[in-house]
Amino acid sequence: MNSFSFREHRPSILVASLSAAFGVSLLQVTTNLALAITSNDVLGSSAALTVMLQVIAIVFIVIATYVGAVVTANTFSTIIAGRTRTIALLRLVGATAASQRRAVASEGLMVGTIGAIIGTIAGSLVTFGLVLVGIALDFIPSIGYTYLEPVILIPIVGVVLTTWIASWVGSRRVLLVSPMQATGAALEESREEAAGHKGRNRFAFVLFLIGTAILALSVVVGMQSPVGVLVGVFGGIISFTGLILGAELIMPPTLRLVGRMLGRSPAARLAAENAVRYPERSSRMTIGLVIGVTLVTMFAVAAATFQKALSPMADAADVDPLLNGIVAVFSVLIGFSALIAAVGLVNNLSLSVLQRTRELGLLRALGFTSRQLRQMVTSEAAQLTAAAVIVGLVLGIGYGWVGAQSFIGTAPGVEGLMAPVIPLWLIGAVVVAGATLTAVASVAPTRRATSIAPVVALSVE
Amino acid sequence: MTEITPDSLGLVARVAQLTKSYGAGSTAVTALDDVSIGIRKGEFTAIMGPSGSGKSTLMHIMAGLDTATSGRVWIGNTEITGLQDTELTMIRRRRVGFVFQSFNLVPTLDIEGNILLPFELDGRKPTSGERGWIDELVGSLGLADRLRHRPHELSGGQQQRVAIARALGSRPELVFADEPTGNLDSRTGREVLSLLAASSATYGQSIAMVTHDPIAASYADRILFLADGKVVEDRTRSTAAEISEYMLGMESRS
Ligand SMILES: Nc1ncnc2c1ncn2[C@@H]1O[C@H](COP(=O)(O)OP(=O)(O)OP(=O)(O)O)[C@@H](O)[C@H]1O
Ligand SMILES: [Mg+2]
Repeated sequence: MNSFSFREHRPSILVASLSAAFGVSLLQVTTNLALAITSNDVLGSSAALTVMLQVIAIVFIVIATYVGAVVTANTFSTIIAGRTRTIALLRLVGATAASQRRAVASEGLMVGTIGAIIGTIAGSLVTFGLVLVGIALDFIPSIGYTYLEPVILIPIVGVVLTTWIASWVGSRRVLLVSPMQATGAALEESREEAAGHKGRNRFAFVLFLIGTAILALSVVVGMQSPVGVLVGVFGGIISFTGLILGAELIMPPTLRLVGRMLGRSPAARLAAENAVRYPERSSRMTIGLVIGVTLVTMFAVAAATFQKALSPMADAADVDPLLNGIVAVFSVLIGFSALIAAVGLVNNLSLSVLQRTRELGLLRALGFTSRQLRQMVTSEAAQLTAAAVIVGLVLGIGYGWVGAQSFIGTAPGVEGLMAPVIPLWLIGAVVVAGATLTAVASVAPTRRATSIAPVVALSVE
Repeated sequence: MTEITPDSLGLVARVAQLTKSYGAGSTAVTALDDVSIGIRKGEFTAIMGPSGSGKSTLMHIMAGLDTATSGRVWIGNTEITGLQDTELTMIRRRRVGFVFQSFNLVPTLDIEGNILLPFELDGRKPTSGERGWIDELVGSLGLADRLRHRPHELSGGQQQRVAIARALGSRPELVFADEPTGNLDSRTGREVLSLLAASSATYGQSIAMVTHDPIAASYADRILFLADGKVVEDRTRSTAAEISEYMLGMESRS
């Protein structure tokens, strides 16, 4: 019924491609890295090393794919919001909500499949390029490398399935469209997503509490033995899952807080309202970024705190480069998830500005200058980014500190609780990345918002 | 100063030799063809005409929402032809008010926020005199207990009344209304029209209203008829029956 529109789904295809390319390439790289490392080793079997590297790789792939799925669910829900009128018309002439939703989900399957194909090709090309560069620079020996290991099916199938599921989740809105909305110039309603997720939120809250309790326990255990850190990993996963599921409880208040900091000018005030207009959408728009910032911060803070604790010791100098290397690699790998989240944020902001054409026209008619309109859109982008960065930093510092503390509680020279060490480069990097994202995210929507004449905007249906 | 100013003629807005065309070549459409009219201060003026006759286009150009292909436009004594976007915006912000057919309100602001938006855009709070006027408007429009609601919680007629409160609240030189009752049932429509007429009669508010509806136009002090982008008739207050009759005649003449 709904014909598949490439243009409409370009952002989702991009996200699915990025996720698939990341997964495919990362697994190819780790497999080939294991081959390279063991190639001149007489002892020979690379199997164990390969599996170990692949397990680590898959953790990062799961994170990236999850973030991609959240982004896609959001994009779909925004697209559906724009189609309300059409869906309502079809409902009016007798289409069932369920069939409408299935149609959307089949578009999701299509998006996932196209994205997976593009991603697999692109990812393999990247790996191939990396291998060529590696050989040219003599980093790795010139041996036969493999690309089409069965293991790359994991990210490929994963992306198709998660995109499909994401489109299903994102199309929940279809069920809320009433045939009535086809009639009259119904104002954009906001009851939709307000329809609560009480059960989910309560579950999220409980998870968070349990996880936090386990984290506290890990610090206590850490005073006795470094095993505390394992308890901490467990608690961290549980509490972070709770936070992600309960994003709707955390992000809107944070967005409001940040919105207030933007000032009281009309542009800033409207931006602040827009950012929390659809709490669920804004939460999903920002949560991917929160995940990225949290994890990068966590590794950086944990490593810095750990280094500080070790610094009085003799062999600290030997550990430092290794630790820094690991933090760097992990940051890049998680940074990719953050990139996917950023792509999602940019798309969603553009899409939602596009859907607000009429409203922007009204504002222009009433006396908003195009400069104020630009400020409004930029403030909105800044608000989303800043809220994500602030929450991510706070969480990351918390988790990083627990991780380090629970591991080194028994180290000589460490008495009681250490203060977390927050590397300056991290703050700098996060602020620069946030500002860049804000700038990039506002380019297209501000251009669009200010280029169209008020009369034209007002005549949009 | 030898030029006659619109003000000295008792006009709140004026257009002279106004032409607006869309597109070029064989597909060009002339929406307005050499129109010269003035809107008189303190009057409630209705602009009527068949669909596509150029009513909305005329209103948009007079209000500085759109630009003319040729001709001149004044709001008060200010010629707005050729003004930059920002200057036009300032005129719209400070000197005119709008009521559109639908989607008049900013969905993220509550009713009070919408009514006070013109002040807020201007970076100022209403003076106590203005505050009193707004309270009076809100009271007489029956919106007093709705100030904290969002637009989508109001009926179409209530939303339209909010738009009127906003347009009248800052006492602009001229209020433009494009089919303000187009989406309302006849009773609510009459309420809205009486309100516009009353604000013109009582407070001398100048209003220019585009409408299709003879009943709506019968509330006005003056009625301008457009056909094919030209003003074809300019008459004083008339009954709905007289207006309908003229419109029927217009159809048979064309
Ligand atoms: N953006 C545009 N591009 C091309 N033609 C246009 C455009 N806007 C208006 N027109 C044309 O200009 C003419 C006048 O349009 P206008 O909207 O002013 O009519 P109207 O009198 O308000 O009609 P209605 O009563 O249906 O609202 C019409 O022929 C219309 O098709
Ligand atoms: Mg019109």
